[in-house]
Amino acid sequence: MSASAVFVLDLKGKVLICRNYKGDVDMSEIDHFFNLLMQQEEEGLVCPVMSHGSVHFLWIKHSNLYLVATTNKNSNASLVYAFLYKLVEVFTEYFKELEEESIQDNFVVVYELLDELMDFGFPQTTDSKILQEYITQQGNKLEVAKTKVPTTVTNAVSWRSEGIKYKKNEVFIDVIESINVLVNANGSVMSSDIVGSIKLKTMLSGMPELRLGLNDRVLFALTGRDKGKTVTMEDVKFHQCVRLSRFESDRTISFIPPDGESELMSYRINTHVKPLIWIESVIEKFSHSRVEIMVKAKGQFKKQSVANNVEIRVPVPSDADSPKFKTSTGHAKYVPEKNWVVWSIKSFPGGKEFLMRAHFGLPSVENDEKEGKPPITVKFEIPYFTVSGIQVRYMKIIEKSGYQALPWVRYITQSGDYQLRTNN
Amino acid sequence: MPYFGSEETVKELKRALSNPHVQADRLRYKNYITKVIRYMTQGLDVSALFMDMVKASATVDIVQKKLVYLYMCTYASDKPDLALLAINTLRKDCADPNPMVRGLALRNMCNFRMPGMPEYIEQPIVAGLRDKASYVRRVAVLGCAKMHSLQPNTDIDGSIVNELYALLRDPDPVVVVNCLRALEEILKDEGGVVINKPIAHHLLNRMKDLDSWAQSEVLTFLLRYRPRSDDELFDILSLLDAFLQSAHAHVAVATLRLFLHLASAHPAVQADALLRTSAPLLATCGAASRELRFAGLCHVQQVMRSQPGLFATHYKRFFCGYSEPSYIKFRKMEILVELVNDENVALVLEELRSYCTDVSPELAQAAIAAIGRIARTYSEKCLDILTGLLALKQDHITSAVTQTFRDLVWFCPQSTAAVCQTVEACVDNPQDSEGKQALLWLLGEHGEQISSAPYVMEGYIDGLKTELSSAVKMELLSASVKMFLCRPAETQDMLGRLLHYCIEEESDMCVRDRALLYYRLLQRGVEETRKVVTGPKSDPSMSVLTGRQEEPISLWASTFNTLGPLSGWDLCLQTAVISASEPSGSAENELLPGSTDVALSSPNDTQEEISLSLGPPLSHETFEKMWLDLEILHRQTLGFPRPKTASDTLQAALQLVKIQTLAFTPGDAVPWKAYLYTRGTGTLILAELLQEVPEAPDSEGSLVVSVKQHPKNQQTIRGFVLILKSVLQTLNVDPL
Repeated sequence: MSASAVFVLDLKGKVLICRNYKGDVDMSEIDHFFNLLMQQEEEGLVCPVMSHGSVHFLWIKHSNLYLVATTNKNSNASLVYAFLYKLVEVFTEYFKELEEESIQDNFVVVYELLDELMDFGFPQTTDSKILQEYITQQGNKLEVAKTKVPTTVTNAVSWRSEGIKYKKNEVFIDVIESINVLVNANGSVMSSDIVGSIKLKTMLSGMPELRLGLNDRVLFALTGRDKGKTVTMEDVKFHQCVRLSRFESDRTISFIPPDGESELMSYRINTHVKPLIWIESVIEKFSHSRVEIMVKAKGQFKKQSVANNVEIRVPVPSDADSPKFKTSTGHAKYVPEKNWVVWSIKSFPGGKEFLMRAHFGLPSVENDEKEGKPPITVKFEIPYFTVSGIQVRYMKIIEKSGYQALPWVRYITQSGDYQLRTNN
Repeated sequence: MPYFGSEETVKELKRALSNPHVQADRLRYKNYITKVIRYMTQGLDVSALFMDMVKASATVDIVQKKLVYLYMCTYASDKPDLALLAINTLRKDCADPNPMVRGLALRNMCNFRMPGMPEYIEQPIVAGLRDKASYVRRVAVLGCAKMHSLQPNTDIDGSIVNELYALLRDPDPVVVVNCLRALEEILKDEGGVVINKPIAHHLLNRMKDLDSWAQSEVLTFLLRYRPRSDDELFDILSLLDAFLQSAHAHVAVATLRLFLHLASAHPAVQADALLRTSAPLLATCGAASRELRFAGLCHVQQVMRSQPGLFATHYKRFFCGYSEPSYIKFRKMEILVELVNDENVALVLEELRSYCTDVSPELAQAAIAAIGRIARTYSEKCLDILTGLLALKQDHITSAVTQTFRDLVWFCPQSTAAVCQTVEACVDNPQDSEGKQALLWLLGEHGEQISSAPYVMEGYIDGLKTELSSAVKMELLSASVKMFLCRPAETQDMLGRLLHYCIEEESDMCVRDRALLYYRLLQRGVEETRKVVTGPKSDPSMSVLTGRQEEPISLWASTFNTLGPLSGWDLCLQTAVISASEPSGSAENELLPGSTDVALSSPNDTQEEISLSLGPPLSHETFEKMWLDLEILHRQTLGFPRPKTASDTLQAALQLVKIQTLAFTPGDAVPWKAYLYTRGTGTLILAELLQEVPEAPDSEGSLVVSVKQHPKNQQTIRGFVLILKSVLQTLNVDPL
């Protein structure tokens, strides 16, 4: 790993806060970072690794900040990026939003966190739940007593503290599937897949043992049972709490859950799914006068289901003006700063078809700058439904005190990266 | 960033901090301390407050303590004498009953980067290693490494090393990993931490307790271990099996690397591991974070060097998204080109074609080049697309297509006729110099197949006065001469005009010399010229027919999962070097570009151009001082004796290529020495040429060059040595 130092820079390349972990790279090297970046941007060849002499900068951008790690070794790049993203994650959990202002307002906590997250260039305690137990944002209040080392820092189960207590023991399970679709301009589906994740909100006392049963095809084949619908999951990833060896041997998902919200597992299903909301569009551009847009949206899912909060974003030229809309349902709005029209439909039942027409004026003087061809993007949510048909069959909760606990399950399908390219 | 009124601010703070009323009011006191840190963060020099801040460290408030420690670490190296005063407080805190305070104090004390620290921190560190709180042990273990880095040249303290090895059995997983990290640092000169059988097995068993960072690092450390038997090997592999599918891409990839390394004698196991990691790798290629996606793509490219077909069915995953940054799109296109097969070629080409009209010209040109690469196998379909693109009449597209045509004709001679037809019918004159050069090359090389060629060429010759690029002029000269050889009647007149202009009026010496060369060549007769000018019309190596070689996995496995694959360099060569010289896979310690001598003398590097410059002159004293201070980065036997030319010829020749001679042995005395210096890519290069007394009296002995550089940059050295070598060789050949 070994990052020599970590910097947080604003958009002008000024260092907002930094931490020199190893002292083997001169801290003034960061001055070269921004110049290099500008140079690469001019050439149109930005790269997340940049080198100046023997110093390498690995950087990411988050809102109006650059987070940069410097190293002079051939370190493991993906690990450094993962760490920088971890920083973003931890900071975001502390400050809600990570941006220039929140860094400046909370620099004491930022220093404290940087100190605990990494030492001598090596990641130490990075779990924000545990960090929150001993670094609090009420830094300004004078607290003397509460400086005990939390048990978790030394615990064998590093993701859960001992002695958690709830009056009512409950687990909420959310099964969320995101659909990624890419349709090309001719209307053929170029790629589509499902990315699923199972999220938990655990409100359980003590150190409970949980076991989750899914209609996993491999498991059913293993146990010789083959009734009902099963699902083949690919690329399954678990939270560190899940005992991987057990999953490998008999596909049992057993774990001691982290307290509060966490993502238990994620999976990918690479089957060909029919795009749930199908869009046909005709965008006609008459130079110097107008743009006519016609968009037809069709719900290609079961009649009983309803898609909520559907948003269809149709790109329009940046110099378009005087919008006029006509919709068969919902309402359309022009968002000039993003150069698109948003057609929102509160509820969109399966099997139905809706239409929107839009008309824009174009200036008679043509814009010289060439514009890209952004795709139409769609956002939606369909509750009580999963595309893959995955089901939670049971959730067993065992704790040594023997309390009764209730699991609650909720299914939802939503749009992920859902793009339909346009001809124009 | 000192700004107006900064002195005032510091004074005011000093007054406030030493005010007893403020000190009595804890909250106010702390607010002032926070203010100091804020100014420090903003870059204001507040080191003058050191004494007052040291006093403030004696508090029960842990946040205030942290702030003061941070302050002290920042300024310790500037004020070592004052920092020593703080050490007592810190040492006292190291014995605090609260483990949080102990850990904090110890960590910060170890972060004081100033001489003389080790004697103060050694005792607390040793105590910390045996602390009952793991929090303190974690800090203490890394403290050992910090202590060593403060005094890098002293002997290694054996007792601490032993203690660290013992702590590998600590119940706390982070302590275990920190021990490895610390040992690695301390034992750097001896090849790093030793992983023997018990340690390896212990680490393997602890793997599941570790967090993902630690897992990734332990997997890297395990690369050092060689199992004794195949049984043990397979036990290890099955233990690690689950990690191939880890949720964290970096763990999965690190596991893969270890698999590839351990199973180097079992290609089937390696292939299986690659197959099973292909899913996590693909998932990384679609990760939410662009940088991780980029890293994933780079690793996919590496894997494809050995297993080109592995991702063929997943080609759709490498289609570019609209909002992806161009560095990702470039990589995806490179991958798509490699993945093309009979089934997917139509879809891939359709996709690539849609990129050709992208707003970014760089991207559009890369897409066109990608289609050109595919054209080497599927020429017909690609030529249709490329021809279609010409109809768009966009300058950058026309230029890129022309360049692609040139490369295509060179690598794939069977497409020549079709290309020539298209060039004749559709190509408008490209506007940029690369495009012009490509078109001229095509006209010159295949002029007999393009009936309009002389007229296009004439247009260029007539517009010569306004042409700025000398590269285009040179290409024009070569093309015209070639054209003259196949169509003399139509070309003779314009060639005459061209040569006349270039010899009489051209101010660029290179162009003029080239024109003179052709002129004299033509004087010797047409046949003579033909013999010199015409060469093969297509790539003689026939690389297209033989296809891309599948490289052995060992070629790239050693840099897998490091920074190497991500940075722009083509690492094919360097990887080979690293794996040859460092079988243990400790590429981690290598500077990025292969820094071994083998890489330097390789012929493939000749393309790398560096520009040397003289810069301000160096005095003899400075040179001598720097020569003594720096260490030799590169030494090479050049394989020929020193040039027997007069010393001022040598000096002048070197000066031509911007290398300054500082001093040399006069006359023919042996040993003969010369000291040279030059500057290149922001570094200063010093070099010594030495010819020893030859061993055999009648042989001449060979020159040895030693190079020192500040700051280090291997690429520049490589370039420098190449230049030096060619100059000396030229002088040797010239019968002056």
